[in-house]
Amino acid sequence: MYIWLKQIRAMEKSKKPLSDRLPLYALIWVLSYIGSLGALKMLSLPEEFEVILTIVPALAFALFLYTFYRYVHLMDEVQIKIRMEAAVVAFSLALVTVMTLGLVDIAFKLNGEDWNFRFLAPMFMAYYLIGLVISKRKYNIDHEEHD
Amino acid sequence: MKNTIKVERAKKNWTQAELAEKIGVSRQAINSIEASKFVPSTVLALRMAKEFGASVESIFQLEETDLV
Repeated sequence: MYIWLKQIRAMEKSKKPLSDRLPLYALIWVLSYIGSLGALKMLSLPEEFEVILTIVPALAFALFLYTFYRYVHLMDEVQIKIRMEAAVVAFSLALVTVMTLGLVDIAFKLNGEDWNFRFLAPMFMAYYLIGLVISKRKYNIDHEEHD
Repeated sequence: MKNTIKVERAKKNWTQAELAEKIGVSRQAINSIEASKFVPSTVLALRMAKEFGASVESIFQLEETDLV
C-alpha cells in the first residue's frame, strides 16, 4: 500500500498524460477491492485493520474518479456524450437491479451466499461497459468508414 | 440534419484525421458527425466552417424532419 502511494505520488509529479494514468488507477482500484475482499473473507484480522481494509478500495476509487473527472475535460464532445450515456445506462440498470433484488428479498428471503452487496460492484462495472458498447455503436464509433 | 463535410474535405483533400487535428477533436468525432450520428455544438460547427472557409449554413442543413 505504501509502495502504491509512493508510485502514485511519483506519477502525479512526472506529469504523465491523464490517459496513461487512468488505466493504472482503475487497476489499483480493482486490485484493492479484490485484495480487501479476499483479506476480509479469509483472514481473521483485528477490527481496526478490517475498518482500514473497507476504506482502502473507496479511497482508490476516489482517486480513479478524480482522475477520470479531470480526463473528461480533455475529451471532445462526442467522447463526453458517449460516456455520459454509458453512465445513464449503467445507473438505470443498477437501479433496476437493486430494486428487483430488494423485492425478491422480501418475497423469498435471499440467501446471503447467493446474493450479497459485494456482488453488486462487479455488476455495476459490467453495466457501465455495456453502456459504453451501446453508446459507441449509436455514434458510429465502432463502425468506422473513413479515409 | 445533413452535412457536406465529406464534400468539403474532398475539396481540400483532407482526411478525417487531418480535419480532426485542425479543429481539435478525435477522428472518431469527425466520423460520427460526418455520418450524421452526432450534431456538433455551435462552437465546433463554427470552427469547422472557419477551417473550410465556408459558412455554417452551407455545411449543415436542416432536413424536413428537423422542421417544426
